[in-house]
Order: sequence, then structure tokens, then C-alpha cells
Amino acid sequence: MPYKILDKKELAPKHVMYKIEAPHVARKVQPGQFVIVRAFPNGERIPLTPVMWDREDGWIVLITFVRGKTTMRMANELKPGDPILNVAGPLGNPAPIEKFGRVLAVGLSAGIVEVFPIAKALQEAGNDVTTLHVAPAPMAILKDEFRENVSRHIFEGFEIQEGWRTKEIVAEIARRGAEKVKELLSEENFDFVLTVGPAGAQKAVFNVVKEFGIPMHADLHPIMVDGTGMCGACRVMVGGEVKFACIDGPGFDAYKVDWDELIHRVGFYTDLERKALEEYLKSLRGE
Amino acid sequence: MAVRRKLIKERVPTPERPAEERIHDFKEVNLGYTFELAVKEAERCLQCPVNYAPCIKGCPVHINIPGFIGKLVEYRDDPDKAVKEALQVIWACNSLPATTGRVCPQEDQCEMNCVMGRVGDKINIGKLERFVADYAREKGIDEELLFEMVPKIEKKGQKVAIIGAGPAGLTAAGELAKLGYDVTIYEALHEPGGVLIYGIPEFRLPKSIVQSEIEKLKKLGVKILTDHIVGRTVTIEELLQEYDAVFIGSGAGTPRLINAPGINLNGIYTANEFLTRVNLMKAYKFPEYDTPVKVGKKVIVIGAGNTAMDAARSARRFGAEVIIAYRRGPEDVSARVEEVHHAKEEGVKFEFFLNPVEFIGDENGNVKAVKFEKMKALDERDKRGKRKIVGTGEYVTIEADTVIIAIGKHPNRLIINTPGLKVERGRIVVDENLMTSIPGVFAGGDAIRGEATVILAMGDGRRAAKAIHEYLTKKREGQNA
Repeated sequence: MPYKILDKKELAPKHVMYKIEAPHVARKVQPGQFVIVRAFPNGERIPLTPVMWDREDGWIVLITFVRGKTTMRMANELKPGDPILNVAGPLGNPAPIEKFGRVLAVGLSAGIVEVFPIAKALQEAGNDVTTLHVAPAPMAILKDEFRENVSRHIFEGFEIQEGWRTKEIVAEIARRGAEKVKELLSEENFDFVLTVGPAGAQKAVFNVVKEFGIPMHADLHPIMVDGTGMCGACRVMVGGEVKFACIDGPGFDAYKVDWDELIHRVGFYTDLERKALEEYLKSLRGE
Repeated sequence: MAVRRKLIKERVPTPERPAEERIHDFKEVNLGYTFELAVKEAERCLQCPVNYAPCIKGCPVHINIPGFIGKLVEYRDDPDKAVKEALQVIWACNSLPATTGRVCPQEDQCEMNCVMGRVGDKINIGKLERFVADYAREKGIDEELLFEMVPKIEKKGQKVAIIGAGPAGLTAAGELAKLGYDVTIYEALHEPGGVLIYGIPEFRLPKSIVQSEIEKLKKLGVKILTDHIVGRTVTIEELLQEYDAVFIGSGAGTPRLINAPGINLNGIYTANEFLTRVNLMKAYKFPEYDTPVKVGKKVIVIGAGNTAMDAARSARRFGAEVIIAYRRGPEDVSARVEEVHHAKEEGVKFEFFLNPVEFIGDENGNVKAVKFEKMKALDERDKRGKRKIVGTGEYVTIEADTVIIAIGKHPNRLIINTPGLKVERGRIVVDENLMTSIPGVFAGGDAIRGEATVILAMGDGRRAAKAIHEYLTKKREGQNA
């Protein structure tokens, strides 16, 4: 059942936006939920978050961060008008949209795309929402959209130093994120913190939030295959119990998450993912 | 047919690929009968009368087994006609014979009671069923039959939604479509087939065969919506507004885990994850296919059901040394005899009376060994007839860089959270007509059983279709009155 790409744009380096016809998802999706996308016949199933949607017109917007083979293939090979083979969803539980008071919603790197619908809904629910996006400077995306929809949007950008690889960039996101959150929490009162992003960076932010004792919700991104509670790949330890992020989450109380285990688990396939990407790049070069 | 035939005691064997060849690929192990061999085996059947035939009684969907076998002998001079006639007999009870011919535990069902077993080998019913289905598919005979059948179907003008395109759902869909209902299947994954697609490996059930069985259902008018997760994309309440009845065949998708330290170490897979990566996502073709899987040099599979055999044999095909560790003894292995035999032939080792108590990891969070408590069996038996086991207090640690947990599954949690749906111990509760606590909503297969076989799920699908037909007939008549 292919789903047509209505529009596709590069928003910033490595950030590609796809507007896709998917009425079954658009009709039901809530902030915090995700979809599983399979783009190619030999492709993998990857979880992505609807960032915007129109229930009546039946479309959703996904923004991918080009990191591995699948996201790169999507960026290279798909054009507007082309189909995406599968868009399954919506999956996962909606984020808690309640009246918390003053909310700080932190998008670490590409995690910002998932923050958008949640922050917008929290603002609409009567909260005073500050959003913080921590990323390399050229990757400031959705600035206008945030400014129109929340009380305050802060972009904390930085320059990528010569020789930095993903590892160093993620470390910098973690460091800057933790620092900026510490600054904000020291100066102002917040009632609720929310984070989305790489597990290591989320943990760094959590360590700061914990010092202030503020309730924190973390949307987790463990490895996922089916997204419907069937495979158990996405299991995370929460409050001493095994939970499946796809059907019990993806959001959890950050205080209960076993962060170190999560960080280990998300790294399991890094070597094979790199290999797949390298082979793909070679094939693009005609080797 | 009055000719008295000589009893042939020995079963005509089906050719199989040698173990040393097949552990290097995922192609099918058993090659099936040719027409000549099938007729030879069919001739051995004693043709018990239908009202007596113990094989029919042993079949959960009550296929007229002597009936279809007899056709092969009767029209032995015209193979196409023989198969067409035989297929027609099978289809009256079973729409997926290429599948059941391969994965049913025939030795515990139809073949268990075969009268020939008293004097020689039991009739190879499963392989004969498979032969009929395969020959019909290859020669387009099934298409021909469908072409004759479809125009005769009288439309009922009522709609049925089926949740899950696995064995239960597909069977119910096929039966209801034949009765003239407008049927739509809601499937969560990107491909229909359920456990037949994600769970059972290519070497036991090629995907192309499942796909062709599904194509036949589509020709009967069954619509399949993939990527639709009931409980999220659409709720049962919403389905009831659009459809006259709903059938839940959502299976037992949620893997059971072992409550032991280290269960989340890297390298520990549930059988579902491992088999989904390998089967559905074709990880054995990585990086040609994008989904990876990691199979170490030493693999321990925990459990001894068919799923454990599938996982173990798949791991062997990645070149690993594989041990199946089971907490009970050899007599309690629940996998089919044929699967255990194939696994042993392929070099899978079996260790009994070992109960995992801890998963031991290295400094990087990867599993490196499993600690087991040695168990012993008592004479006393439990409710399922298995011998009770107790720990001995002695422990053994076995190295492994991959562990696959295959100890069973629970029904899918998204469906059972439906308001008003009565559930006990994770299973949907149904009455004798397979109707749930919600009027018009029926359920069958592993969603009500916990975990059983493909054919039992198909039997439920058939029973549910019959019950739904009765329910909808009353509803129709009520509306007309």
C-alpha cells in the first residue's frame, strides 16, 4: 500500500522533510506518537515522528536526520510524487498533554522534530512553554514554527570543529545541552522538563534536571523493528521492569529509566550500520 | 475401485536436501513429491469410509483426507484432473493447503490415527496435501478452480473486518469471502501472513508460497489493509460502526522474557526479534537488504518448541555453533519430530534439564555466557502432562555470544486493552461460538489460546467464519423481517 510523497525539501544539512499522503495516520495521530516507515523493497523498518499533520487532507510531515543507509537512500532516491512503500501507525502512546505550568522542552539535535508537536500541544493546553534546540549551527530548523507556537524558542548552536566525527558532535550536544539546561533551571522556575534526542545527551540533561528535582519526561529511541510490541527489540529497563518502548512508551519518567543500559543497547548495530552505509556510498561512486 | 490392492507397508519418502548442503542457505529443506511418487504413496491409503476415517477426526479442520487422496489414484492417468479434483476436496475445508502441508504437526493429528499405522508406516498425509497444493499452483490449476468458483458466489451485502492476516485471520477471511461477505483484513505489518511470514523460516515455508496463497484470497475479493494497527490506527469500536462483524485473529505476538539478571544485555534476542529480522526483513541477505542481524560464533537457544527449532536452524545457517538448552527432558520437547530431526541433522546440539538463572555480560554490555541451574525431573506430572522439575542447586555456565529466548508468547497487548473486551490471563475470552464479550466481535487462534499451532488457529478461523455467518444471517433476517 504505497503512500505518495507530496513534497520533499532539505531544511538544513542532513535534515530532509517529507510531506506524505497517509490518511490513516493523519486521522488518528497524537503528539508523541510515531510511525514505522519502510521506503524500499529491500529496506528496513524505521521509526519516525509525524511533526505536523492535517486530519482532513490526510497528510503527515516527517523529517529525517540523514544518518545511516536508509535515511540517506531516502534523501537520494525519493522524489515528490514517488511512493513510500509503508507508513504504519500511529504507534506508541501520546505524550502527556496536561497543565504543568512552565515547561522546558529540549530537542537535542534532530530530537527537536519530535518536540515540535508535543510543545505546541502543551502550549495550547495552557502551559507556558520554552523550547530549547541544541545542535550544530547550520542545523537550526523549525525556528519560525516554534516561535509561532510556543512562548519562547532558544536555539543553542555551535560550530563543528575540524576532525569531529559523530561521536564528538554528540558529546558536544550533550555538554551544551546540559550546560544550557542548568543555566535555564538556575535562573527560572520550571515545573516540567521534556527531552528528545540521543540517549547519551538525554542522560546528560537528566543528570542536571535531577539536581533540581523537577519532573522529567524522556521520549526514548531504542532500536525498533515492528513497533507493535511483537519483537521486543526496543526493551528498556524502567523502574526495574522490562518495558517495550513501542507500546509502553516511547515516553517514560526519566527518573526511572536505566540510562546506561539504554545507551549500550542503542549502540548494538553501529558497526553493521556503518558497513551498510559505506557499501551504499561505494555503490553511489560506482565502485 | 473394487480391486483389492496389496498392502504396501513402507512409506514413499519425499526427497530432502542433504544437511551439509542446506545449512549454507535458506532454501527449502524438503523437496516434496512428484506426481508419480505421490500416486505411489496415495495407493497405500486404505480409503477408510468418511464417517469412520480416524484421520479426518484428527484434523482440526476435518479435511476429507481419504477423499482427496483417492482422487490422486482415481485419475492417475490424468495428473491435472487428479490434482484439480483433489484440491477441490481440500478447499472445502482448508484454503491454505500449501502452508498446512508444510507446517502442520501431522504426526499428532491426522497421521496419528492412521489405520495403516497398525501394519506399517502411516500415510504421509501432510506431504500429499502439500503436493496437491504445489502442483496446482505450478500448473495454474488453483487459478482455474477460483475462476470457476468466484462468479457463483452470492453477495450477502454485509461487511466483516478481520484483525490480523495470520493463519486464523486468513482462514476466516477466505471462508467468509466464499460465503459472499465483503471482507477486509487489517494487518499491522507491511506484509500479510502473520507468523507464516515473520516467524517461520524460508527453509520450512517459502514466503512465495504464503504470498501465492494470499493472492488467491484477494481473487476471492478479500481486501487487505497493511500498516493498520488495530488499537492504534483504528479501534474495535470504530470497526463496529463500519462493519457488521469483527474477527480478532491477532495472535500471540508478545514475547515472553526470562526474569533473570542481564536479560537486556546486547546479543540477547527474543525469538520474535531474531526471526523477524531474518525472515520478514531478510537479514541473511544483509547488506543487500538493509536490516542487520548479529549472530555470534556460539549461540544458545532457550526453549524447545518449534520456534526454538526455527531460531536454532536459522542461526546454524549463519555458521554458528548452536545449542538448544531446555529446562525439561527430551520427552517433553514440544517441537515437531520432523523439526527436531532436521535440527539434529544440521548439527544443532541439545542440552536438557538446564534452567537459565543469569545472563553474564562483558565490559561492553554484550552477553558472553549464560548461567544455568541444573534441573531434575520428578515422577509427578503437571496439568499439561509434563513431568514436574525442580532445581538441584548445581549450576553450570555456558559461553555464548548470542542468546535467543524462545520460551513462548503472550497475546498482543494492544488489542486486549479494548474497553469491554473480557480477557483472562492475557487471553481473550470467547463463548462456544467464539464470540467475545462484545456482541458481533469474534476471536480465535492464539489470541484466545495463548500459543498453539497454525492449524488450530486455522480451525478457529473456520469455526468463527461459520459462527459469523450464522450471526450475520440472523441479523439479515432480522432486518428484513
